[in-house]
Amino acid sequence: MTALLRFAARRLASAALTLLLVSVLIFAAIHWLPGSYADVFLGALSTPQAKAQLEEKFGLNRPLPVQYVKWISAAAHGDFGISLSTQQPVAAEFAVRLPVTAQLAVMAAAIALTVGVPLGIVGGLVTRPRVLHGFLRLFGSFAMSVPDFVIGSLLLYLISRHSLGFRLGAWIPLSADLAGNLRTAIVPAGALAALGIGFIMTAARHAAISIRGAPWVVAATARGQSTSMIIRQHIVKNAAIPVVTVAAIYLGYMLGGTAIIESLFTIPGIGRFVLQAVSIRDYPVVQAGVLIAATVFIALNLAADIVYAALDPRIRSKASP
Amino acid sequence: MRPPFRGDPLSQIGAALLVVLIVTSLVGSTAHVFGSPTALGGAPLSAPAAGHPLGTDQLGRSVLARTVAGIDQTIVLATAAVVIAAAIGSLLGMLAGYLKGIGDDIVSRCADALFSFPAIVLAIMISAMFRPGSATAIAAVVIVTLPVMVRVVRAATLMVAEQDFVIQARIAEAGLGRILAMHIFPNVAGTIIVQMAYSISFGMIIESGVSFLGLGVQPPGASLGSLLYEGRVYLSVAPWLVFVPGVVLALTILSVNLVGDGLRQVIDPLLE
Amino acid sequence: MTPALEVRGLVMEYRSRRGRVRALDGIDFAAAAGEAVGIVGESGSGKSTLGAAIGRLPVAGVQHVSGEVLIGGVGIFGLDEPALRALRRSRLGFVFQDPIGTLDPTMKVGRQVAAVVDGSADRGVVDGILTDVGLVDVRHVAQSYPHELSGGMAQRVAIGMAMARRPGIIVADEPTAALDASIKVQILDLLVSRCRDSDAVLILLSHDLHAVRTRTRRILVMYGGRIVEAGETATVLDRPRHPYTAALLRSAVGREAPGGCVEPIAGVPPASAERQDSCAFAPRCVYVIDRCRSVRPEARHVAQRDAACHRADEALDLEGAP
Repeated sequence: MTALLRFAARRLASAALTLLLVSVLIFAAIHWLPGSYADVFLGALSTPQAKAQLEEKFGLNRPLPVQYVKWISAAAHGDFGISLSTQQPVAAEFAVRLPVTAQLAVMAAAIALTVGVPLGIVGGLVTRPRVLHGFLRLFGSFAMSVPDFVIGSLLLYLISRHSLGFRLGAWIPLSADLAGNLRTAIVPAGALAALGIGFIMTAARHAAISIRGAPWVVAATARGQSTSMIIRQHIVKNAAIPVVTVAAIYLGYMLGGTAIIESLFTIPGIGRFVLQAVSIRDYPVVQAGVLIAATVFIALNLAADIVYAALDPRIRSKASP
Repeated sequence: MRPPFRGDPLSQIGAALLVVLIVTSLVGSTAHVFGSPTALGGAPLSAPAAGHPLGTDQLGRSVLARTVAGIDQTIVLATAAVVIAAAIGSLLGMLAGYLKGIGDDIVSRCADALFSFPAIVLAIMISAMFRPGSATAIAAVVIVTLPVMVRVVRAATLMVAEQDFVIQARIAEAGLGRILAMHIFPNVAGTIIVQMAYSISFGMIIESGVSFLGLGVQPPGASLGSLLYEGRVYLSVAPWLVFVPGVVLALTILSVNLVGDGLRQVIDPLLE
Repeated sequence: MTPALEVRGLVMEYRSRRGRVRALDGIDFAAAAGEAVGIVGESGSGKSTLGAAIGRLPVAGVQHVSGEVLIGGVGIFGLDEPALRALRRSRLGFVFQDPIGTLDPTMKVGRQVAAVVDGSADRGVVDGILTDVGLVDVRHVAQSYPHELSGGMAQRVAIGMAMARRPGIIVADEPTAALDASIKVQILDLLVSRCRDSDAVLILLSHDLHAVRTRTRRILVMYGGRIVEAGETATVLDRPRHPYTAALLRSAVGREAPGGCVEPIAGVPPASAERQDSCAFAPRCVYVIDRCRSVRPEARHVAQRDAACHRADEALDLEGAP
């Protein structure tokens, strides 16, 4: 247990450092955006005096490092500033939309895992008939090749023509009406899941293939263990490792990746909100959105590493990567 | 000449498909064999028919011609971006993996930081920093691909650097540039090429995503992603505006993925 | 009396994208209970394929073409899966080259040993097995993961697991190749003594001629998927009658006379898909005559051993390794 804890502590420190660097990158990027904050805020009413006043008020004429420290320390306390478009605290706007995005991401991940893992493992272990093996590989590659907005558009068209019991357009919150919510959510979640099925299936397949040839599987066969027993006792646990890693990365990816799907299906999630903010130059929202997406991604990667170490004892002993 | 990817029919199909797509787009772009992508030939939003095999868009331009031009842009933009990223990333990765020490720490840290953004989020952020256009799309793909390249090349370099012939070269006091160019690079080149193939396919997904949001390629230019952006409002009345580029985009990405699989089998075979 | 292990006319093929190659090209031999048989040959000679074939272990790309392996008189290539597994559990034990690699990295050693004796959770049984192979502090070993053990310790565990059910045949494929020089001797001694104690056949595959010489009574020399010389170890190694055996001895490190050289064998081992009507070693043999290239030599009993060479009965000036 202590080896695991020490490993976790090392990774946590590393992740914190990375997060710091990420925040600096975001801050620098946003401040390179064309058009000054003040100009956007004031819009048509911009005059040199008003601009100077505003800059003084928001501390925009202070040196950049000072502004950065102000921003990051506020962010650490959950204060992400005020949205230029809605005049509401950014944190509040995000809080309202977070459950929607989270639901989509979790549903998509669940679909991707339940479909992708068994298909992947079967695809990796089954060598005959060759047609099945090839078909599964092709299916995995195809699922990874179709961008989610293409599938989304296809589904959108399909459902708008023949409803098939699914609803589109208005989002019904989970708390209000479970059935209605699921009917609205399942289609966009499905579009999101396609990419995940591809990733997870391929990862599981590669894991199963490399394990199939591993010396200890041969040795287990030599000891007279049956294939199904080897799969149950050894292969699933060993294959879980790369699959969990990929799943965590995919989940993190989706927390930004929902942006496009949310736009397509007009779902009131964080992604769509940040995307709109980009086009209208609502900087505080963009800054906060990207920071949160990166933080969640880092956190999920960290979790994946720790789960990996918990499952594979060799990882715990290795020095920090 | 022996067919490439012998014994791997899927990769062969992928390679053939890619060749067909590239030839089609080259012929279409240079000789306008499939029609002109800018000419306002037919009635707007007309369904596929004899005159225009894949229909027309909202301005009356041939969807076939624009899609062919789109293939061209999609492949060229992604490839150009990946080549740039591969050049920079490989150099950084080799230096980091070979020299190790503090430089390696800095490079790895920065790569990890970039890697911490979900790719599409990073691409959107980059695209928002500049004016919408093809250059922006390229920049986004470069920034997204760079950390992957650095990581992969660094890992490969770490393995090669431990081998005897490299240590011998160091003992013989060969210069850094010489060691990297003559000993390290040839041995990581295979890994770089395979990664480039996968990065090109991912780059196409990123570019089309960015263009789909209106931040990348702008009309009258066309990449498959931007065609989707233009056609999306007309989805219910003229679905072919979305499906034709969409299907072609999927096939293009798929073919590059399959070619990447085939290359990887050649360089580093799995026990299939 | 039925030999414990018998191989008859075994032909196995290796199939890859690039074509087919005969990994084993007609193997015949037998071993009686308690015998220690060494099988030597360079990489590509087919000895590992033969070792795996004895248990009908699946090796990527390798297919059975013809011939049979009989264990206690039972042909294994005709068995169905359950019977094959039962045979592996009760009659066979394998020891492989990479001791740590043959254990599941995510499972503690003790659990894996227990799994071999039908998952008995009885610590006493597990500890007993580990003690029998010369391990000390066995509780600690049982609680460890494979990568935490040294190569020598892991190989002892592997030997313990292989012998736990008292099989009649142990196949050891380069069991000490990955171990330090000082440990090699201990592990080989352990292997040989345990097999002798339980009257089991030991098939020792190795490229280390010295190890084979001191520990086996019979030796088979393999080349190009065939047995080129077979007989009592001392006889074959002291006075070889096949040019390849002599060449192998000359290329072995450690046996040179002062001022002499280690002589590698020029050329590469053969790889062909069909049964060749020639001697496999002809292209690299310094004693080759025309007949060697057109007629496949069959094993003949000459000077108290079997040698597959057209010139075996000539007293060629082949140096042995006394």
